[in-house]
Amino acid sequence: MVRSKLQQRIDAIVTNGLLSFFSIIMLFPILYSFMTSFKSAENVITIPPTFFPVNWTLDGYRLATQGYLLNTYVPNSAINALAAAIISVTIATLASYVFSRYKFRGSQALEIAILALFMIPGLTNLVSYYRIGTELKILNTHTIIILVYAATELPFGIWVMRSFFDAIPVELEEAARVDGCTNVQALLKVTVPLAIPGIFTVFLLAVVYFWNEFLFAVTLLSNNAVRTAPVGLYDYQTTFEVSYHALNAASMIILIPMVILFIFGRKIFFRAMLEGALKG
Amino acid sequence: MNSGALVAKTSELKNRSQKKPLWLLWPALIMLLLVQVYPTLYSFYISLNRLKGGELLFVGLRNYSRLLKESDFYEALQRTFIFTFFYLLLCVSVGIILALLFNRRSRLTTVYMVCIFLPMVVSEVVGGTMWNWMFQQSYGIIQVALNPILGGISIISQPWGAMAIVILASVWKNQAFTSLLFLGSLQTISKEIYESAALDGANHWKSFWKITLPLIKPTLLVAILLTTIRGINSLGLILATTKGGPGEFTTTMAVFLYRKGWLYGDFGLAAAISVIMFLINITMAIVYIRLMRAK
Repeated sequence: MVRSKLQQRIDAIVTNGLLSFFSIIMLFPILYSFMTSFKSAENVITIPPTFFPVNWTLDGYRLATQGYLLNTYVPNSAINALAAAIISVTIATLASYVFSRYKFRGSQALEIAILALFMIPGLTNLVSYYRIGTELKILNTHTIIILVYAATELPFGIWVMRSFFDAIPVELEEAARVDGCTNVQALLKVTVPLAIPGIFTVFLLAVVYFWNEFLFAVTLLSNNAVRTAPVGLYDYQTTFEVSYHALNAASMIILIPMVILFIFGRKIFFRAMLEGALKG
Repeated sequence: MNSGALVAKTSELKNRSQKKPLWLLWPALIMLLLVQVYPTLYSFYISLNRLKGGELLFVGLRNYSRLLKESDFYEALQRTFIFTFFYLLLCVSVGIILALLFNRRSRLTTVYMVCIFLPMVVSEVVGGTMWNWMFQQSYGIIQVALNPILGGISIISQPWGAMAIVILASVWKNQAFTSLLFLGSLQTISKEIYESAALDGANHWKSFWKITLPLIKPTLLVAILLTTIRGINSLGLILATTKGGPGEFTTTMAVFLYRKGWLYGDFGLAAAISVIMFLINITMAIVYIRLMRAK
């Protein structure tokens, strides 16, 4: 044994101390926002500010939900997120299956081209999406935002799904084919069920990304009826009547579903982020 | 893309009697071509036009020459550089420190990870609201806490202060990515190396510089590149925190693009900015792919 017991104990204390410190720093903005959402209008402008609410109240939530947040923005976000996730996961599954199982002329180049698309940020296409939306008269519709979301998530989905397919033995499909299945039948009956964890991973990440997405939503959706929750919150920021307890309440309404998904699916998030980043 | 080009000569699978179901690729290819590749090319075209009465009017390279004459453009470029530099520095150093700490597994590691990585599921607008709120002039809890040190100067209304806030907010939101990248790399290093180094009398500090850093160098390069790309293209969180202000103190290239297009309706100029940014990004992407292939 090299290090003494004492040395090990000191190491453990230092590690835990630093990690606790980082945890507090990272959680602080979220916790402070959470506390603020339960303050009263007067408590928000108390000098000096208090961390905890003086009196816990739901005034902020009442104010935040008076407008369109709950009956329009949140449903819009949910529709966009689910529809785009289903489309992009389905398409990514089919494509990544081909990349995983078959080599054809240019297959490697094609995969690299798709990886390159993954590297190009959405910012590049912001203006042309807006212009194309205007020309096709689909600006301010669910259609454009769902298409844009599904397409931007596709390269990432293909890369992550591919590694899941690579891990499933080809022999299983071959056995199915010997039993008389076509290629596609073998895919649907044998491989897809085994790839469910991968499909679910991509789906979960896509839903969280789309639910939170702001850039495309704020540039392509200006009509109140189609606005998503983040765009609604961004608008609240500039509305003078809305006080910070209501702003933070609206923030919590957007955030809390994601926190729940994150806590339950933490392993999926951690692994998939690595997967997406380290592919190549 | 026609199917003929996709037909290959050799078969990977033993069963050669059936054609490869390459058509399964089509939905993805069609979608990527129409919604990713075409719009990118189209922004090149838009950048050569001016929008007049809802119609595109060809003006050649005039948007670019206009852009290069604007001092705002160079200021935005400079701010992008400052933002990206500090964002990169903090993301990478915080990422390495966190990864080293997480790599010493303890019972509480998962709890710490959930707490520290939670900002990754916070929407940019929600994060921006939070950071803006903490620095409100009279009521922001951090602003008030720092008042005795700063003599009551409002941080968010200072050029350096507003920039520091958007940098910190961006690091807060995105550190999970770099941390996980480094953690993945650290986990591939075997414990025996450290044990034998310790036998030779190396302390933590020495073994980090002599063993860990050289071994995670490939990951470090990838992290630097990806973080730089993210930094250059940061927009949502900056908009939601400061809206590019006060004045134009946090107007980076990305915010400049947004302002030109969506505030002033100058979409030709906005497209020209996006083309310039695209060229910067594609250069970095090529470097990235080279690195990945070399690995």
